[in-house]
Amino acid sequence: FRLNIEGLLVYFPYDYIYPEQYSYMLELKRTLDAKGHGVLEMPSGTGKTISLLSLIVAYQRAFPLDVTKLIYCSRTVPEIEKVVEELRKLMEFYAKETGEVNNFLALSLSSRKNLCIHPEIIHANIVVYSYHYLLDPKIADLVSKELAKKSVVVFDEAHNIDNVCIDSMSVNITRRTLDRCQNNVDTLQNTIHKIKETDAAKLREEYRRLVEGLKEANVARETDIYLANPVLPDEVLQEAVPGSIRTAEHFVGFLRRFLEYLKARLRVQHVVQESAPQFLKDIFDKVCIDRKPLRFCAERLQSLLRTLEIADIADFSAVTLISNFATLVSTYSQGFTIIIEPFEDRTPTIANPVLHFSCMDPSIAIKPVFQRFQSVVITSGTLSPLDIYPRILDFRPVTMASFTMTLARTCLCPLIVGRGNDQVALSSKFETREDFAVIRNYGNLLLEMSAVVPDGIVAFFTSYVYMENIVASWYEQGILENIQKNKLIFIETQDAAETSMALEKYQEACENGRGAILLSVARGKFTILARLEYLRDQFQIRENDFLTFDAMRHAAQCVGRAIRGKTDYGLMIFADKRYARSDKRGKLPRWIQEHINDGSLNLTVDEAVQLSKHFLRQMAQPFRQEDQLGLSLLTLEQLQSEEMLQKISQMAHQT
Amino acid sequence: MASLSEEVLLVVKKVRQRKQDGTLYLMAERIAWGPEGKDRFTVSHPYSDIRCQKISPDGKAKIQLQLVLHTGDSTTFHFANESTALKDRDAAKELLQQLLPKFKKKANKELEEKNRMLQEDPVLFQLYKDLVVSQVISAEEFWANRLGGVNNGEPAPYNNKQEVGISGAFLADIRPQTDGCNGLRYNLTADIIESIFRTYPAVKQKYSENVPHNLTEKEFWTRFFQSHYFHRDRINTGSQDIFSECAKQDEKGLKSLVTQGVKNPLVDLLSLEDKTLDEGYGISKALPSTSNANKSVKESSNSAIIKRFNHHSAMVLAAGSRKGDLPTDQASETSSTDGNSRDSDFFQPPLKKVKLQEAIEYEDLQRENTPKTVALNLKKSDRYAHGPVPLQSQQYTTSQDIINSVSYIQQEMANYKPNLTRVLSSTAATSAIAALSPGGVLMQSVGQQSINQMVPTDIQGELKHLYIAAGELLRHFWSCFPVNTPFLEEKVTKMKTNLERFQMTKLRPFQEKVQRQYLSTNLTGHLEDMFQTAYSKFHIWQTRRMMRKT
Repeated sequence: FRLNIEGLLVYFPYDYIYPEQYSYMLELKRTLDAKGHGVLEMPSGTGKTISLLSLIVAYQRAFPLDVTKLIYCSRTVPEIEKVVEELRKLMEFYAKETGEVNNFLALSLSSRKNLCIHPEIIHANIVVYSYHYLLDPKIADLVSKELAKKSVVVFDEAHNIDNVCIDSMSVNITRRTLDRCQNNVDTLQNTIHKIKETDAAKLREEYRRLVEGLKEANVARETDIYLANPVLPDEVLQEAVPGSIRTAEHFVGFLRRFLEYLKARLRVQHVVQESAPQFLKDIFDKVCIDRKPLRFCAERLQSLLRTLEIADIADFSAVTLISNFATLVSTYSQGFTIIIEPFEDRTPTIANPVLHFSCMDPSIAIKPVFQRFQSVVITSGTLSPLDIYPRILDFRPVTMASFTMTLARTCLCPLIVGRGNDQVALSSKFETREDFAVIRNYGNLLLEMSAVVPDGIVAFFTSYVYMENIVASWYEQGILENIQKNKLIFIETQDAAETSMALEKYQEACENGRGAILLSVARGKFTILARLEYLRDQFQIRENDFLTFDAMRHAAQCVGRAIRGKTDYGLMIFADKRYARSDKRGKLPRWIQEHINDGSLNLTVDEAVQLSKHFLRQMAQPFRQEDQLGLSLLTLEQLQSEEMLQKISQMAHQT
Repeated sequence: MASLSEEVLLVVKKVRQRKQDGTLYLMAERIAWGPEGKDRFTVSHPYSDIRCQKISPDGKAKIQLQLVLHTGDSTTFHFANESTALKDRDAAKELLQQLLPKFKKKANKELEEKNRMLQEDPVLFQLYKDLVVSQVISAEEFWANRLGGVNNGEPAPYNNKQEVGISGAFLADIRPQTDGCNGLRYNLTADIIESIFRTYPAVKQKYSENVPHNLTEKEFWTRFFQSHYFHRDRINTGSQDIFSECAKQDEKGLKSLVTQGVKNPLVDLLSLEDKTLDEGYGISKALPSTSNANKSVKESSNSAIIKRFNHHSAMVLAAGSRKGDLPTDQASETSSTDGNSRDSDFFQPPLKKVKLQEAIEYEDLQRENTPKTVALNLKKSDRYAHGPVPLQSQQYTTSQDIINSVSYIQQEMANYKPNLTRVLSSTAATSAIAALSPGGVLMQSVGQQSINQMVPTDIQGELKHLYIAAGELLRHFWSCFPVNTPFLEEKVTKMKTNLERFQMTKLRPFQEKVQRQYLSTNLTGHLEDMFQTAYSKFHIWQTRRMMRKT
């Protein structure tokens, strides 16, 4: 039906609406009105995507000059495809309601294969693609550089956005990288020689251009035509390429020297950690390489590759990597750390040195996005605590809101199990996780639950190795055998194809009523110590606060998948006594937290089973649309009633 | 002719049947005969009804062909065209010879099915005896709406025995017990063996290869339990082991399962990421080395266990759904071709599309169009969930409480306003109250218990049979309403006669028998009632029909 959101006519392709969808759209509209950024949390299964699309498309139609484009970023291919599907539905609805053929152009990039669609991207009204197309400078420069300033950028499923940012700016260098780089440099040298004999004018032309400097790029940036590239620092734009690397031969020689230096650095016996300035000082001391030419390295290489008309850039990925590293390390004195390790942790006898150049500051990669685009919306089902994202991504939002899921019946049941039936504390903390009694109690919990819960259970472990050990000891203790009497068991492996198979079979077993358990790993990125220190010094976020936040967002992600919508139901069991502490569970999303009461804290396995039984029996009762109507599901008339609007705004303002 | 649309394969003129001249037709699905000069068949047998054909011996004066039906009846045709009688008969015979086997299979299947149903279901068998054998209704009528499954391919629940699934823990059920002298005893049941075979076809193959010529059954299973195949967490598989090949086959099976990939793109982890970072970029996690070379024994044993569980669960799942799986696969395949042809410009595998649609669907946001069902209205859902709880003594009420509640009820009654749209008719209400009041039909002090004791078991059994048979007849009767086709008209009349016949031949003798035994309770009152209701319905229908006709 059609909605009136503070004076904006919104087409919404459903017969009913959830109250929180209305609140969400309201908040989103305010963000767009203010031309600012927003952080919005709303549980999965409440139709977040369609609310977003409906509102922004309506906004674009109403104010075509204020918002010219929607850039919708999501994380995985299936998610992108889902967005496209919802968009299709919305467009069909528009066509049906307005009777006119829509002139909206929507474009989705869901594979690198269909890259290079520059003109389409510029003209599309809606672009749906992966985070990387905007956050990874290497791709953003190719794809997203010319996107209009008056665009709305949405990052959906954004709970891990900081890690995507960090990943896109971090570099690892191994001996293999250096060897391949050596080959690249040799090829470059040969090509230069050949060109010199046949077409020396080309090289002279390049030289002239480099003297002119990168002025053109600078003009573009200043006139705001382009999305800035964090690998192309401002200083580089204002100055000419330094003379020492201006000729092609000199530059190749420069690369050789840099390469030799890196090779030498990889010959280490013990772990070395240093900052970017320390690294720059060392490189100046040892091989007399200055900071300035390093900074121009990435841009100079691009120019050379263009001049030499090298078709397949992929072959030069190694030298590109090294020159990107050179530019980054010389540009950012803060926010990065360098760690050189002589071998892998697991195999200390095999020499395999790696230089990790790790980004610790996600704001570096995302900064151009916040600066360039009028409105950037960060949204997910789990973004709690909301205020940490603006801090670690360094931006000032105009709206921040967490919407709960209005429910006609309490269809989620979070329980915190802190003890076994033998009163031994249940925790996967490092000191006790290998404890026989702890492992057995975890096993009992799963066993008892497998007898109570219909269809499917997913159990998440903190790491793969830990899961492997637990599975082995459950096997020895005969716990798995007993679980098999109730459910089939599928286990994640380190092979993605094998895990996909297990996942599909698990779904099949749940759907056909056989019932199954999936043992899985909650993939947390380990956070390097250096990043914690950086967060503390730079953003005043205490180490423990960040670790708790990181752990809790993963937990929320895991349990957040238990329910798909309001008609669904699910148990969420937090099996660790640490969750009972208010500083921990206080960091869970509001829509989960508000269902945790004192009666669901620090339970024993038996108590949890009893509560689960009761909950599941209640959920087995028929649940119809009428039960929801007026509470968690509204008709247009209900939505328009003064009383309901008041109620909705009250609910939204509890945040 | 009656049905011109049928393909006529052979026409033979001058064929006598029951001393009447006529023409014999062999059609695609039936054989029929019609008397000379009339344009309808008096004899018509579907080929599937024919058990066999017999011919008169050569040299006999009359050249005849006899059809024996499954029911035991037979029809004889006399080929009377003097000059070509033998040729005619042989032509008909030859053609029948070709046609009958085609239908035999179907007929046999049907017969077998009927037979099986009668054997498996004693109640049905009794009903068959009561109704068909005593010729109250014909066999055809009896099977008419029972056999729906056999003919439509839509199996009714009772003629398709449900296959028993496999317990996921069947291997765990083989609890080894020490036999007291350093040995282990494994308990194997036929079910477990069946489960092993169904889950691990490789073992079944080994079994049929080796038992009994190489090994006795006992030896086979002993080796099975000793093998590394059974104890999969032990790593090295001895080459002597006859089961080492099974392990390899399993490995292969698992691999092929994995390489087959997944059908649902939403769970395909391989194509999840749009763009993984280029080599060399990203916060590196120490990549787990997948090669076995630098894995400890413990690690590889652990991963063997994990692999085994996945494989075992997949096999059990597959064994359980193997039967139903094929048609759905085909269905999805055909639909896939459909989908592709329809929107070839936008190519997307339909399964994927279906899954995506499913994933973005919010069913409660859409208007419901499912048929309204009546939901259970639970006043106390707790009692439903936990069953009745015996009253605690302290919950017993004092006399004051009782007085209070009585006055409360009186008050309630005084203020009672009936919901007039939802009330029973006054007669129905009165009769219900009467029936439920002390002394009423449903409240007689002679409860079921005492009927049990008063009436001898054979009478009870007989009464049960009568009920079932009468129920079946009445079902047939009532299913004719509304009578809107000539066929139903015919049927309802016949059914009424059937009912009367049943009342005469079955119910009456039983009533007499009961009377003879001086049983005071009126056992057949309700049965009679049911018959009367049917008769009056029939009567009403008939009078209306007459009125319409006049």
